Amino acid sequence: MKRPTFFAFAAPSIVIMLALMVVPLLMALWLGMQYMTFRNITEPEFVGLRNFIEVLDDPRFWRSFNFTALYTAIVVPSWVVIGFIVALFLDQVSGLLRGIYLSIFLLPFIIVPVIGTIMFKQLWEPSGLLTWIYQELTGTRFRVNETSVKTLIIVFGIWYVTPFTIVVYFAGLQTLPMEMIEAASIDGASRLQKIRHIVIPYVSSLTIFILLFSIMDSYRVFDSVFVLSELNPQFKADTVMTYTFLTAMQVQRLGKANAMAILTVIGIMVVLVPFLYLMYKEQIAER
Amino acid sequence: MDRVNSRAGRIFVHVVLFLFGVYSLAPFFWTTLQSFKTFKDAFSRVPVFIFQPTWKNYEDVWIRSLPDAGSSVGYMILLAAVIITCLMLFARYIPFNSSWIYIGGLIGYGVLLWAIPQSVYMAKYYNYFINTIIVTVFTILISISIGCLAGYALARYAGMAAVVILISALAFRALPRLAFVLPYFWIGSLTNLLDTHILVIIALVAVNQPFTIWMLRSFFMEVPKDLEESAMVDGANRLTSFLHVIVPVAWPGIISTALFTLLLAYNEFLLVRVLTQTNWTLPVAISRYTGAEDPAQLTLAAAASVSATIPIIVVILFFQKHLVKGLAAGAVKG
Repeated sequence: MKRPTFFAFAAPSIVIMLALMVVPLLMALWLGMQYMTFRNITEPEFVGLRNFIEVLDDPRFWRSFNFTALYTAIVVPSWVVIGFIVALFLDQVSGLLRGIYLSIFLLPFIIVPVIGTIMFKQLWEPSGLLTWIYQELTGTRFRVNETSVKTLIIVFGIWYVTPFTIVVYFAGLQTLPMEMIEAASIDGASRLQKIRHIVIPYVSSLTIFILLFSIMDSYRVFDSVFVLSELNPQFKADTVMTYTFLTAMQVQRLGKANAMAILTVIGIMVVLVPFLYLMYKEQIAER
Repeated sequence: MDRVNSRAGRIFVHVVLFLFGVYSLAPFFWTTLQSFKTFKDAFSRVPVFIFQPTWKNYEDVWIRSLPDAGSSVGYMILLAAVIITCLMLFARYIPFNSSWIYIGGLIGYGVLLWAIPQSVYMAKYYNYFINTIIVTVFTILISISIGCLAGYALARYAGMAAVVILISALAFRALPRLAFVLPYFWIGSLTNLLDTHILVIIALVAVNQPFTIWMLRSFFMEVPKDLEESAMVDGANRLTSFLHVIVPVAWPGIISTALFTLLLAYNEFLLVRVLTQTNWTLPVAISRYTGAEDPAQLTLAAAASVSATIPIIVVILFFQKHLVKGLAAGAVKG
């Protein structure tokens, strides 16, 4: 394909991405340097880097950052481990049964995250099923407080993204060459040894892919935290994203919220750039 | 992997899978149960599993008041919906061009959706449902048509420009929605576009474009180059050969991508929450039920959640293969 044809075909998409992604990002940077609330939305006041300094000095920002880091640290390994194990089990069945299990396992990932959260929350209402089981088992009342809300957010996070890792690993396992397994069986390797020495190295590229995407996705988690942290009237279970949202829409500090968003973008970019560089080299090599 | 052959091993595998299935379904199971309970049953301290089911919560969510001829109107609408669905399901056995049947069926659904509020006084929830359909349909149409052109160009062009676009699209895909949404909000409030479908649709097309072009590109890469080359030797230009030769071959992949766009648009919460004040789509509307302090909302929230999930489950049942294929393609090819 020639250069002019390429640009003719790609033009609508490029224009959309330039106008609606690049420009807004620059705009966010500019808005981050303004003092702006809903009142002076047409006449923002330029304050330079003051918003950025305010964000970095804000204890609530750091608290939300810490919770986001904790969330990522617990949820990402759980996705990888549970997803891999369930995919191994799913690989053991075939035919119709496999399809049925796959549909059921996929359901948490497919439904609207907000609705999934609401359904999950129904289990933990004062009259909910799990509240009752919890109270019967431990003999204590289930209390809504900072710790329990954070736990619910993390458990929900694990529940609703694991299907994605299951499907990715499952698809990877389907391409595993049988000869490797057979050779190992002839050598008398046990099942665990085969998993340890053949399967895990075989899916390692998938693991890297999952790790990258899940770290970025868990860093920007919003929907479920937004719904579940409402349980806690003090809004102490914020992640960076929900705190940014609340700063913008409730506290109405649009400038400060934009500064926060820009800082998040910078934070993500630091993690992302090595990966982008790898992708770049891979793309160049393909040509 | 090779199969576990021992009897105990097989049982163990099935027990684990079954338990994981229970774990996956528990919230759906409980919420569906709650949605059919009366207020009193739903609030009992000890969960009630055997009770007199009631449609009341669903009625309260969807309908404001019934007309005098209530049930007969309801049955008429249901009958029409069933007829259209059956026609579309068995389209290939009808000796008539099936694509016309599909188009006719979709128009029929549209007419039905328009006709319902003419005869029954529907609750607000119905408006949100219609909003969701409008936003989702237009997002898919725009996103896929411009995405196909770009995805095809990116699959075939070997120059540096393609690499730059692909890599920057990847970077944009990783960035938080909030970084884009707040500027949209600012522009929206300056231009009075806040709370319109147009702004939401444009924003959704934009934030999903990186994902769309990557996915479509991977499907167009699979189409052999000789196909359009032979068409072009026959005198067709790029665009006609693309539309008449490439698109039909890549159609399953396009459907997969459209399915994911559907899910992304239908699921979107943050963007709609910021850019609308009353013209909500379902996720935002439903989140309002739970924010309220009134405990009576509990069963309503359950019924609303189940109602919003059913269309998605129907879509998944029809397109499960495309979905798994798309998930796997996105992953394995990176």
